[in-house]
Amino acid sequence: MRTIRAFADMTMKMLLRRRTIYGISIVILLALLGISRVPSFDVGNEGRFILDFGMFGLEIGALLLAIGLAANLYPRDRESRVLLPLLAVPLSRAHYLLGRFAGAALVQMASLVAGCLGLVAVLAINGYAVPPALIPAALLLVVEGWFLLSVVFFFGFWTSPPLNAPLTVLLFIISQMSVREFVSLLPAASGAMKVIRLLLPHMDAFHIKDPIAHGETVPLLYFAVAAFYGLCYTAFILTVGLAVFRSRDLR
Amino acid sequence: MADAPIRVTALTKRYPVRMGLGSVAALDSVSFELREGEIMGFLGPNGAGKTTAIKCVLGLLKPSSGRVRLWGLPPAHPSVRRRLGYVPESPDYDDAFTPLELLSLFARMRRLPGGRCDWLDLLARVGLSAWETTRIRKFSKGMRQRVSLALALQSRPSLLVLDEPTGGLDPLARSEFRSIILEESSSRGATVFLSSHLLSEVETICTRALILDHGSLVRQGSMRELLREENQWRLEFAGEAPASLAGRVSALPVTSTPDEAAGSGEYRELRTAGEDLQACIDELRSAGARITRVEPVYGRLEDVFLSATAGQREEEPERDQ
Amino acid sequence: MRPAGASFLRALSAALFLIACALPGDYDIEDVAPTSHLGEPCEHDHGHGELQEAGHEHHDDAERQESTQTGMHVHEAGQRNHGTEWFFNQPWASPFIWPKMLRDSLVLAALAAVIALVSRRLTRRA
Repeated sequence: MRTIRAFADMTMKMLLRRRTIYGISIVILLALLGISRVPSFDVGNEGRFILDFGMFGLEIGALLLAIGLAANLYPRDRESRVLLPLLAVPLSRAHYLLGRFAGAALVQMASLVAGCLGLVAVLAINGYAVPPALIPAALLLVVEGWFLLSVVFFFGFWTSPPLNAPLTVLLFIISQMSVREFVSLLPAASGAMKVIRLLLPHMDAFHIKDPIAHGETVPLLYFAVAAFYGLCYTAFILTVGLAVFRSRDLR
Repeated sequence: MADAPIRVTALTKRYPVRMGLGSVAALDSVSFELREGEIMGFLGPNGAGKTTAIKCVLGLLKPSSGRVRLWGLPPAHPSVRRRLGYVPESPDYDDAFTPLELLSLFARMRRLPGGRCDWLDLLARVGLSAWETTRIRKFSKGMRQRVSLALALQSRPSLLVLDEPTGGLDPLARSEFRSIILEESSSRGATVFLSSHLLSEVETICTRALILDHGSLVRQGSMRELLREENQWRLEFAGEAPASLAGRVSALPVTSTPDEAAGSGEYRELRTAGEDLQACIDELRSAGARITRVEPVYGRLEDVFLSATAGQREEEPERDQ
Repeated sequence: MRPAGASFLRALSAALFLIACALPGDYDIEDVAPTSHLGEPCEHDHGHGELQEAGHEHHDDAERQESTQTGMHVHEAGQRNHGTEWFFNQPWASPFIWPKMLRDSLVLAALAAVIALVSRRLTRRA
């Protein structure tokens, strides 16, 4: 565990010293500021508009952060040959994957929390109430971000960074679809399509922006169940990724 | 542990080609062993399989067949890793870090005792004392290589595996590198496995060497064994050589050196094959010449290397399967 | 790729495929929701022109007046509202899907543990 912590620390420092994280964070903050300036179509419900679009923006931000932070980590380690001394001496492959993931996940979490605080600030500046459910919603957003991060790591062992990003986005989109919607994309192969969709995650579990924006009460139990689902799926993806990584020769 | 630091037995590594339908042998039944405390040179032309062998030794590649043991254990065993130092060919550590930060982070990962003062000493030893807090992005290739060496030496390893560690370094840096390697071996008894294209370097510091070509081990032995030209002897004598020797020695005289200090006139030397050595000595003596030295002939490692890899270059084997 | 690792991944893929094929239902809330969640189906069309013509006999006059004024129509309590059903057909509003999420989470966690153990054992054996 100490080894993973040390490597996660190294990963965090490395990511914070790169410019990617600041670029994405600035885009997220600018988007949040921009939302408050966009005239709402629904007069009298500007607060709802800011919350709805703000949380949507943060969800997209989580996706961008996952790709921006992690898509290049493993390929760069291989290209620069840093992976070899790391895996030959101090780290096992599990240490490497978990350390890199933990470091990236903490940086992503910090960015998303900062984004949420930005959203709170925008609401407060514009004189709207901040719903208490925004706190568990932010935590669920972090879990969703971690899940997306694990997907990026997983694709990282299979593909190059230019392919990793579109594949992750594709999975993000498909995972929002219902089985029926997905099967309707290719009805001729409905059986295969159904199996594929069932194997993919159900990311609609993370959708809580609508009820929060509309003032509906989301039971805390649901947050717990959805977070548990997200964490288990993240663990599953990471483990499959680790199995792939362990089976790879480092030529 | 009484086991050899590295024991490789019938190591074969095949890489899949053509979408896995065929395979190409990068290593073909290679066997060798390193003894405790020795410095082993690992030679071979580009593509001979040196890096593949090193990666198999380090557990980064899984052999297709054969066995690799370090002190009798698999390379991935935690107790093996603790005793290992590795310098890969031109690693490019993240340039956002300083050498001191990297040493501290690696020490935490390896759970090594020691602190800032130890790492500063280590950086001074590899010639980076003025650069310990400078980001690596400002470093030259040679300085980056020094960082890599510092990281490898950090745990005071019993086995140092060096893959082309001095490639791209200037002569001064190469000499410093060599001194450190020799020091590690002589003062701590570390075993060194050194892969290099610089034959003079290997000739200078290694006690034994392996020559690999096209995935096969073509020559191995102590440096004296390798450099000794097969069955050739050198005779040094003073006086006149009989004309009857002319047909049986390779050169008569090869060189002649005046030995003014001894005041005994002209010294001559000749080379001959082992089976003719006794007859030559007898004839020289009967002609009144005085034999001053008899020794085997040692060649240059470059000649040994070229002759060892020449046959393989001429007949390119079909390695696809 | 290592032969043992490759065969393990193939076996894993096949197992996941078989598990997926054997799954009895799916997650589409509209398909698995009980009637109590969806409410009674509303047979009529919701075109604005038909709103007043086809009529909503079950709405009282006050409702009819209000809905005509706002351009909206109102359903009886418990009747399905086609305009907003997407809103309530999300997992957070469908408690009957939560045990399913929990079950899947446990299956995923168990699978993760098995995969981690098997791939570790294969690596060590190699």
